[in-house]
Amino acid sequence: MKTLVAVMSILSLAVCLGVPVLFFLGVLPEHSFKAALLVASLAWFFLASAWAAYRKHPSKG
Amino acid sequence: MAERLAKFTSAMDRLYEFDREPVKPDKLQSGGKFAGLFAGEHVAATEFVIGAFFVLHGVTARDLLLGLLIGNVLAVLSWTFICAPIAVRTRLTLYWYLRKIAGPGVTLAYNIANAFLYCILAGAMIAVSATAVGLLLGIDVPALDAVLPSSAGWVIICLALGAAFTAMAILGFEKLSRFAEVVSPWIFVIFVAGAVAVLSKLGVERNLANLWHVASTRVWNGVAAAGQQKFGLWHVLSFAWFCNLAMHVGLSDMALFRYAKKWTYGFYSAFGMFPGHMLAWICSGVMVAAVGREMHPGLMAFEAVGIAGIGAVLLAGWTTANPTLYRAGLALQAVTPNWPRWKITLLAGTATSALACFPVFFLKLLDYVAIYGLVLMPIGAVVFAEHWIFPKLGIEQYRAERRGWAFNWAVLAVWVGTIGVCLMLPIHLYFKWLPGWFIAAGAYTASAALAGERQPGAGRETPQAGEEAG
Repeated sequence: MKTLVAVMSILSLAVCLGVPVLFFLGVLPEHSFKAALLVASLAWFFLASAWAAYRKHPSKG
Repeated sequence: MAERLAKFTSAMDRLYEFDREPVKPDKLQSGGKFAGLFAGEHVAATEFVIGAFFVLHGVTARDLLLGLLIGNVLAVLSWTFICAPIAVRTRLTLYWYLRKIAGPGVTLAYNIANAFLYCILAGAMIAVSATAVGLLLGIDVPALDAVLPSSAGWVIICLALGAAFTAMAILGFEKLSRFAEVVSPWIFVIFVAGAVAVLSKLGVERNLANLWHVASTRVWNGVAAAGQQKFGLWHVLSFAWFCNLAMHVGLSDMALFRYAKKWTYGFYSAFGMFPGHMLAWICSGVMVAAVGREMHPGLMAFEAVGIAGIGAVLLAGWTTANPTLYRAGLALQAVTPNWPRWKITLLAGTATSALACFPVFFLKLLDYVAIYGLVLMPIGAVVFAEHWIFPKLGIEQYRAERRGWAFNWAVLAVWVGTIGVCLMLPIHLYFKWLPGWFIAAGAYTASAALAGERQPGAGRETPQAGEEAG
């Protein structure tokens, strides 16, 4: 579970970096890029907080 | 008076009691920890302002890149060759080492100065966050030359944010610190995302063929905004070097490096400097160019990445003002013996919120950073001289501790005198600190030598508590 949360949180941060690149390349329109960035950001906060909690209490993992 | 000072210094000693003893070998930390610490600490709300100001000051693209590269290398070298070696040899915080050198009275004065400077810095961070909230509420950001609050709305936002940040610092400093660990990498990503997102708006082609052309004509085009001084290579280089002057040359990061296994861990500061003080500054420069060079961090981030940008500016201010408020409170606690933590944080937060209302602190942030470093730098020079130069010249070390002085008046005179001389030097504010460091180190060494404190045997270096491990 801990590994999954870690991978998912890193993925969400990668999406935060990837969507502006897609917008710059014209693959995504502006509103979709901004919405995707917001969702990926929220996912990062949720997943990274969970990951941090696992690291603090390893027994949970 | 003497009794009052003794009361204050004794209260201050109790505060720092937990780190009075040199760090034990089993408490030393790995290099990876230092890399992580530096990476997390140097992407703050102020990065939205600093990088943007380089654009407004008419820096050219070439000067910016070269200046940031060399300046940040010099900053890393300052941590590595000035701060880390003393920290590793003594295994003490600057607080306790300065106490041996300057006496508890000077250390108290240093703490008060530090607290005041921290409050202004936290105030600037609150003001940066206020630009994001102001954007949502339709309240204008003060003009670039504003000193006093521009509107009642601005004051209300700053006070409300200051109150909220202070309340959260009181209620859960540790929880917020953990939250900051989550926020920090995301804020860095938002800087990069924001810069990438506005590239097309600035006219960069998808194959990046005209990237340098756009950078040098539409972003860092060498034209200063109205009322802003023109900056060149040396301004950028010097700023990047002294931006954390109090931490490296000023030695306050001894608190960190006393846990390092080797002095070479100073090189890990590069993990903070190059992402935070180079890439993030470049990104905020790109973002400000895309909003018509308006110094409005909230607008810059919102235009670039939408609501996530507003969140980034707000959270960057919040998470970086929080530890700054904590440090200010800790420093202030020395002069408010027996006050509980919440009361001290409330005092620091109230002062910080009031200061945040004055836009001059965030609109003159670059100058403030220079003054902040200049004020604390002489103490670093004094400690450097006492640690390295005194033994070489056979001058007695740690006179304040050995003789029980409350004040080492030579340190106080050199500290105040150096600031006075620096302010009178007919050079730009950004360049004053460097001659100032040599003046402080030279004056302090000369004063000790002239005082005739070269005693046979006394000049030999005192064995250090924690000689370099590894």
